[in-house]
This record gives sequence, structure tokens and C-alpha cells, in this order.
Amino acid sequence: MENMTNDCKDNEIMLRVKNIKKRFGELEVLKGISFDVRKGDVLAVIGPSGSGKSTTLRCLNCLETIDSGAIEIKGEELARDEGGVAVYAEGSKLRAILGHMGMVFQQFNLFPHMTVIQNLLEAPMQVKKMKREEIMPIAEELLKKVGLFDKRDVYPSRLSGGQQQRVAIARALAMNPDIMLFDEPTSALDPELTGEVLRTMRELAHEHMTMVVVTHEMAFAREVANHVMFMADGMIVEEGEPQKLFTNPSEERTKAFLHNMLR
Amino acid sequence: MDKLMETTLSILAGSELTLEIFFVTLFLSLPLGFVEALLRLSDFKPVSRLTEIYIWVMRGSPLMLQLLFVYFALPLVGIMLDPMPSALIAFTLNYAAYFAEIFRAGIQSIERGQYEAARTLGMTYMQTMRRIILPQMIHRVLPPVSNETINLVKDTSLIYILAMNDLLRVARTIVQRDFDMTAFFIAGAFYLFMTAILTWGFKRLEEHFGKYDE
Repeated sequence: MENMTNDCKDNEIMLRVKNIKKRFGELEVLKGISFDVRKGDVLAVIGPSGSGKSTTLRCLNCLETIDSGAIEIKGEELARDEGGVAVYAEGSKLRAILGHMGMVFQQFNLFPHMTVIQNLLEAPMQVKKMKREEIMPIAEELLKKVGLFDKRDVYPSRLSGGQQQRVAIARALAMNPDIMLFDEPTSALDPELTGEVLRTMRELAHEHMTMVVVTHEMAFAREVANHVMFMADGMIVEEGEPQKLFTNPSEERTKAFLHNMLR
Repeated sequence: MDKLMETTLSILAGSELTLEIFFVTLFLSLPLGFVEALLRLSDFKPVSRLTEIYIWVMRGSPLMLQLLFVYFALPLVGIMLDPMPSALIAFTLNYAAYFAEIFRAGIQSIERGQYEAARTLGMTYMQTMRRIILPQMIHRVLPPVSNETINLVKDTSLIYILAMNDLLRVARTIVQRDFDMTAFFIAGAFYLFMTAILTWGFKRLEEHFGKYDE
């Protein structure tokens, strides 16, 4: 977590997405998406369901593949465009690039057969071949950070949704990523449990973690994000600073969406 | 009383053969079934298709016929086997097919999110299978595997067709010789004893692998 304390005004581009397109059969779900994310940025992606916002996020770490366009992570090409066809990095290079990103899912996806602490230790030990005694203090520190140290030896099925999601965030952080991707992290939670997860994410943002958050939580997007992107029909309709986008959107589509969401 | 003892000892001797078939078949068909499940799930169509056909043949024809085929038909193509290896081959191939379908269902029942989580954490396919999918799969397939295993105990009696003196054939010989049904009751008790141990064993395994389920 050393890099979190670095100067957030460092303008290094962490993520560059250039004109990515994707279709599922006849349906064009991404119609040319481009954006940059700089170090310490918190980008909130909002929009109606089916707008392609989750797909965009999933394309960033290869859970979905793009048809054309380019994606760069910390200056390295995850996918480059060769005559309208996306060509992906391969093998260990691909692995290294993907290793810069951590992901948090709507459905948490904790490993149910492992205790909370085992969930955190698993990837560092298996993937990075870290020794148990190397990763253990880091994992315990992360659990304290998300307020679940007392649950370290409990199985996920014993935890509430909000607690599971906080463990999932800690699990992703245990791999020490430079960028955290959140795919509707609070959408599967009961309303009274969203607060604790959003609080954890807010703390992360304050530590200058670079974050891309697909969310329906308008208040969160407004307060925590420094950039908001509104998507609809596989396109970016409007983007900008949250203050501007939420109070004075320029597109009709954005106005209509926000009107519905904030009603 | 001596007679009862003698009958029991004869049947006990016959059960040795039964247990041998049982354990060797289990030992071979479980891993083979797992490999078949992976082949069946392969993205390479010819492989999954061939495996599917194999499973269909093995599950779709009687085990008795398969026993007879290995023992009587393979010699026609120059493969001559003793009854024991013949029986083991037929049993293993047959049971592996059933286990393959159980394992396939088990693997497919694991949520997609588990693979995705493992993947975003940088785990390889092998690591994901070994550390994430298999432990969860084992827990889910234990009840059907337990079913098949209990079936196997009883199916071993089919080897009488190759003139092998298993538990049940020994009992039947005694009954036919003495016109006394006692041997059948003793044989029944033997089978029940074996399946009781299995039932208990699988219950313990389910507890062990299910401890995360509450």
C-alpha cells in the first residue's frame, strides 16, 4: 500500500481507453468508448441498466474482450488496435498488466470454502508465491482497515452482505493493485448495509487509490468521485466533474436519468 | 452351530473377492471419471463429443453385457484376459462414466463468479481448479458419489457371470447344496454391513467438506 501516500497530483495516466467497441451477436453493446483515468482519480460510471457500463468495466480486466479499440494500463498495452481488430497482450505480459487491477463484484464472489483470512491470503500466496508470514501482517492490517479483524476465522456464509463485500475489497487490496474496479458494489445489498461498504470505499478514495466505480449510488458518485461519466446505449453521453454533471447537465438524456434517480 | 460358522466363513472368504473388485474399481474409476469430466467440458468440440459418446455407451448398455464383452469378445481380437482383470476393466470403465457425469454437474454448478474472482486475482486455470473449484465441487458431489459407491458394492455380485466366486455366488452355492436359506440371510447381512460403513464414511466426509456451509 506504499503508493497510496504518493502525491495524488502526479498526473500519470493509469488507464487509457481508446474507442473500444464490442458486440454480442447483433447487439452492439459498446459503440466506441474513450476515456482516461489518472493516478488518484475516482471515476464514477453511471447510467441506466443495459447502457454498457458494467461491460466497459469488465473489458478493462479481460472478463470480456473488446472487438476493436485499445486499452492501456499504466502505459502498457493490454489491447491494441490493428486495422480495426483488437489484439491482446499474451502470456506473462498479459498477467502482469492485469495484476495492476483489483476487482470488486456485485455478488462479492468470496471463496465460500475458505475463512475470511484465507480468502485474503490465497492469491498472494498462490499467485505471488508470498510466504504466509510475509502476507499475514498485511492481510490482518487490511481486515482491521475494513473493520472485520474479529471475523478473520469465520466462513463467509456467516457474514452479512455488507461484511462480505468489505472482505472482498480487502481481498482485492491484498494483491496490492494500483487500480481498483468496482462493479456495482452495493447493488446486491440491503439498503441499510450499503453505508458500511461506501464508507470503506470513501476511505480508499481518501488514500488516493485510483478507482473506477460503476454505481447506482448517486450520492456516492457526487461526493467521492472527481469525475463522472454518464453512459447510455453503449456510448458516453456526458462526462465531467460531478458538481457540473449533477447540478447542470447539458444533455437531455442525462437530465432525464438524473431526474429519475434523484426523485 | 458349526454349520452356521462354516457358512459364515465361506461367505467371508467370498467377500474378499467382492471387496477387491470394489476397492480397485473405486480407486481407478474416480480419477478416470474426473479426467473424463474435464474432457467432456473441453472447449475442443471433437474431444467433448467423443467423451459424450463414450459416456453414452457405458451408461446406456448393461454392465453385465460389458463384462461379457470384455471377457468373451475381446479374445476375438486377440486380447485374452483372466476373469479378474476383465471384471476390473469393465467395472472401471462403466463406473468412470457415471462418475464423469456427476463431476461434470458438480463443476458446472460452481458459480461463474468464482472463476471470475480467481481470474481477477491472477490465478491460473490449474490454480483455480485445484484451490477454488475442486474443494467446492467435492462437497456438492458427495451425495451422488455416495449413491454410486453403494451401487458398486451390490453390482460386484455380477461377476458371478465370469464364474468368479464372490460373496453372493458362494452363498447361492451353499443354498443349492444344503436346501437351507440361512446363507442368503448371512450374505444380506454382509452387504448391509458394508453399505453401513460406506454410509457412515460419506456422512463424515460431508461434514468435513461442508463445514463452511453452517
